[in-house]
Amino acid sequence: MRTGSRSAKIVTAVAAAVVIAVVWSGCAPPPAAPTEPYRAPRTAGGAPDLNGIWQSLNTANYDIQAHAARPALALAPAPPRTGAPGLDRATPIALPAPQVRALGAVGGVPAGEGVVEGDEIPYLPAAAAIKKENAEHWLERDPEIKCFMPGVPRATYMPYPFQILQGTDTILMVYEFAGTTRTIHMNDVVDSPSETWMGLSRGHWDGDTLVVDVTDFNDQTWFDRAGNFHSNALHVVERYTPVSPHHLMYEATIEDPNVFSRPWTISMPLYRRFEEDKQILEYKCVEFVEEAMYGHLGLIDPGTGQANK
Amino acid sequence: MSYRHIVAAGTLAAASVIAAFALGSAAAQDSEGGPAPEAGAWSQSRTAWGDPDFQGVWRYEADIPLERPSQLEGRELLTDEEVAQREEIEADQQAKRLEGFEGGAVGRLSIAESPIRGNEYNSFWQDHGRPRQVYKQTSLIVDPRDGQIPYTPDARKAAARSTARYGVGPFESYLDPDTGERCLTDGVTAMMWQGPNGGHNQFVQSPGFVTILHEEFRDRRVIPVDGRAHGNIRQWFGDAVGHWEGDTLVVDTTNFLDRTNYEWASIWTRPSETLHLVERFTRISADMMDYQITIEDPTTFSGAWTAVIPISRLADDTQIYEYACHEGNYAMPNLLSGARADAAKKSASPR
Repeated sequence: MRTGSRSAKIVTAVAAAVVIAVVWSGCAPPPAAPTEPYRAPRTAGGAPDLNGIWQSLNTANYDIQAHAARPALALAPAPPRTGAPGLDRATPIALPAPQVRALGAVGGVPAGEGVVEGDEIPYLPAAAAIKKENAEHWLERDPEIKCFMPGVPRATYMPYPFQILQGTDTILMVYEFAGTTRTIHMNDVVDSPSETWMGLSRGHWDGDTLVVDVTDFNDQTWFDRAGNFHSNALHVVERYTPVSPHHLMYEATIEDPNVFSRPWTISMPLYRRFEEDKQILEYKCVEFVEEAMYGHLGLIDPGTGQANK
Repeated sequence: MSYRHIVAAGTLAAASVIAAFALGSAAAQDSEGGPAPEAGAWSQSRTAWGDPDFQGVWRYEADIPLERPSQLEGRELLTDEEVAQREEIEADQQAKRLEGFEGGAVGRLSIAESPIRGNEYNSFWQDHGRPRQVYKQTSLIVDPRDGQIPYTPDARKAAARSTARYGVGPFESYLDPDTGERCLTDGVTAMMWQGPNGGHNQFVQSPGFVTILHEEFRDRRVIPVDGRAHGNIRQWFGDAVGHWEGDTLVVDTTNFLDRTNYEWASIWTRPSETLHLVERFTRISADMMDYQITIEDPTTFSGAWTAVIPISRLADDTQIYEYACHEGNYAMPNLLSGARADAAKKSASPR
């Protein structure tokens, strides 16, 4: 009986675990009945209604590939300890670089599973070397640090909300970071007369999915803080698919024959920010970065009040 | 009693007369300069959910100075002869611009009163692309009736100081150029009527929001028109809430950040915590919008002032281009290194 009772308990526990597992897996990722795909409500004009404020919830802006947690974005090897028997180490320990040391745990990098399909970015060999160099010189090179426009797709998964505003022939994507706005042209539009940071965006509907074809980029933006980059031959095709009243699935296919050997794809859910009266607020970061960019260049450094040498 | 005093006595009545005039004048000329459309030919177009439809790209194309020039003191309107004369000048300037003649520049105030010294370099920033529209109105400011910004005595000094510094310096650090040169903004107050240099304003409407995307500095306003109250967060562009009064969009903006300690090319565009804007947007024809703005700020002005501004709609395929100012601000390091070179030269030269 005791044995029987115990195995009954185990069976019950296993069954409960299965139930919990089923319920749990039913919660993530965004639910969709297997038979009938979600159909988005329509705007007054009859298009799928994607209006709202959206935000990603992941660590892709740190690194779009899978990554372990680490002490800081900028690391420097600790100087070797020599001359003390029993304290010398085979490999140096990576410590936060002096410029970011004071930030402590706030400056650490949270781990993440990555958003790249197959977790592989197909860099050409020369480009792979540049990516590595970018990562090593993150502090000097990441355009985010300088408050430059973040480019596409990075704008989508920065840790700020963005708003989709569906006009008649135009959809605006209004980003908080650096006050950037993208105009998605739903009508014909001529090519951009020059290269751009945020690209020229042409949109169309594929069922409920907003497909945006983005071209005319410059080579100045990155994909993340890990140094992943592209050239001015970048071509991005984005897909925004409503999968529930509160979720969009976002997918971007990235093509750049100067940097990658084949197209590759990232994907992630976007979550609706449905707090009452939620707005995209200002993040005018130019005035936040001027001291770092220009403080040392003038006659006087306002940060120290001293004359520059 | 001088004429000015008589004028002051009837300020409010006059403001509405001028406003009505501006509407009539704008409606009577289409953007091609051709004959006015048949009366009643245009009716207010509406969005799918029934609001007046302002969507498209709009720009201030009139030749009216913000403040009334001193030579027109006491006169609210030009004569027909003066209008004809100005139209001739505009046509002549346009021809010269098309031939590549530099120096036909127009600053934000007027040709004679451009704040930019040595217009030659700067004239390309100011290319209107087509002749400006000539109006009888002698100043955008209709209230007070003298057509002048009612600065407080302190603000008048600050304005004179900023005019004297603009383009001249000293520039000891990045804090010394004006907010425009720092690629921050020229201020929300002037956004709608800034003119040719990136003065395009794209209106996009979606249920509950009217969004205005301004080209220069990629300034942007997402204005809720869903009945919400003001929030409590201070911003450069404040906290705008809109509502419809008939076919007029009324936008009330408060909660500005205090940025009076930055340098401004024109201090009347600077935000302070006491700044309050009330704007009225009315589409009056296919091509024209009547825009009125009332500006109140005891930090800078002795009383509220109102400007009445005709805004033109541009062709359907007009695009707002990306404005990457800070991203390409080579002027800032060059300005600072120039100031250092000047200082080095001065200290090296014998006295």
